[in-house]
Amino acid sequence: MTSDGNGAAEAPAEAPESFEGTIWPDVDRALSGISARPERGAIDVIVHIPREELIRGLRVLRQDEALDFDYLRCLTAVDNEDEGMDVVYHLYSIGKNHNLTVKATLPSDDLTLDTATVVWRAANWLERETAEMFGIRFNNHPDPRTLLMPEDMDDTFPLRKTHPLAEIEVLQGEGMGYTEEDL
Amino acid sequence: MVVRPEIEREFETQDLLLNVGPQHPSTHGVFRMVMEIDGELVKDVVPYIGYLHRGAEKLCETMDYRQGIGFMDRTEYLAAFNAELSYVMAVEELAGLEVPDRAQWLRMILCEMNRIASHLMFMGAFGIDVGVFGTPFIYAWREREAIFDLFEEVSGDRMMYAYFRPGGLAWEVPVNFTERVREVLKAVNQGIKDFDGLLTENEVFIARTRGVGAISAADAIDFGMSGPSLRASGVPLDIRRTEPYLKYAEVDFDVVVGQNGDVYDRYLCRLQELRESVRIVEQCLEKLPDGPIMPEKMPRMLRTPPGEVYIRTEAPRGEYGIYLVSEGGNRPYRLKVRSACLSNLQALKHMSVGQYVADAIIVLGSIDIVLSEVDR
Repeated sequence: MTSDGNGAAEAPAEAPESFEGTIWPDVDRALSGISARPERGAIDVIVHIPREELIRGLRVLRQDEALDFDYLRCLTAVDNEDEGMDVVYHLYSIGKNHNLTVKATLPSDDLTLDTATVVWRAANWLERETAEMFGIRFNNHPDPRTLLMPEDMDDTFPLRKTHPLAEIEVLQGEGMGYTEEDL
Repeated sequence: MVVRPEIEREFETQDLLLNVGPQHPSTHGVFRMVMEIDGELVKDVVPYIGYLHRGAEKLCETMDYRQGIGFMDRTEYLAAFNAELSYVMAVEELAGLEVPDRAQWLRMILCEMNRIASHLMFMGAFGIDVGVFGTPFIYAWREREAIFDLFEEVSGDRMMYAYFRPGGLAWEVPVNFTERVREVLKAVNQGIKDFDGLLTENEVFIARTRGVGAISAADAIDFGMSGPSLRASGVPLDIRRTEPYLKYAEVDFDVVVGQNGDVYDRYLCRLQELRESVRIVEQCLEKLPDGPIMPEKMPRMLRTPPGEVYIRTEAPRGEYGIYLVSEGGNRPYRLKVRSACLSNLQALKHMSVGQYVADAIIVLGSIDIVLSEVDR
């Protein structure tokens, strides 16, 4: 088990010795010219790429012959409140059978990012969902409608941490008869 | 040649917009699509989803890890064990829990039985889609009923089991469990034979399904399809084989792939997978060890250290992934359910354009969608 959650600050320091046997050396070679920072995840290696270089990086990851990330497993976002939002891509290579997680951090006051639909068509609906749930705008998206939410619901972003739950839902979560020490 | 205006007007044709759903019986849930049709040919498909969106991901952020299990059942109600499995595996990975061997084997048996039940449901519903009214549906229900009886004996529920726990299982299975599973398998074997005889070489069925809604391997991968719908296109991606979890590395089974990626292949893949699942369960029953089903020391309230993990397992419809982010504490900071059907459904337009209207319904049926999993 690795605990990597708050390791953003110390990750580069331990980077040289801790990526033995992972996919990172290959990724590092492919991403030359792009400022990528690795981090050791619980199962997969996580690569942080600045958002300006993200799409270029993803395209390289897909087209590089040794990496060949042809399959986009999952695309989503995590709201880190003050630290902005992470957009997370889970990539997989069917031929090479390896995984990689790519992360881009967006500042809270400018939630825009270029679309990844030019790299994988699979990103289309996943980006639509991420956009409506978090209020992230994906530039040049071919079909920027809502996916799960009603069409006119473009000012409410349910998965943001600031979005309130109804009282009953909060009570359900906190009920169950546990005392404060248990929680 | 001079075309007179009145004749020109007479032959002026217009494409028709046809609304299917949200409550159409052939949409397998609450799903709506608007088809643009030219005569009998589909020119465009616009799917609308979200009618069953309940915000399970957000709700799980307010609940502790054990409470979240019930929500996972409800996302994928036709294969609830498989959905629970991804979730508890994600929690175990973050919390660093060792699952005892017996619990892992039992989980495998239950997940494969659930795959059988889910595929049987597909067979029945798909039969109705192609126009074999009644018989396959009743056949499927007969065997599925036997499996649900077994699940009820084990977990107390017929659909929303909530039986897996982070660390193992909620309680021990009944004493006659292995005999009961063998009994059910016997019935399932007969059911598979019945389906085989009823559909596989049925001339009408083949005429309706072969060559319909084909998708190439490259397109299917690009759209992020998974499960039997992807394997029918000839891509041997089965997470049980490529990244084995539980004890899948210790059992012998084949990854079934199709060739043409059409509706018929998607049906055939699922039929063969039924046989493979039976094989896996039989091996599990032989290897099932005695022992505990939960780790010895479990905290009363499970907490995880900060971290994140993406767990993927092979559910009946494809890759069911759980992306779990923890900031410490007893509940997820962010939980994302990667739905197999959502990604499969993206390719619907690609597969249906150029087909007949009646075939578009079969294409939709052949992806085997569960809308509650799509919308979560």
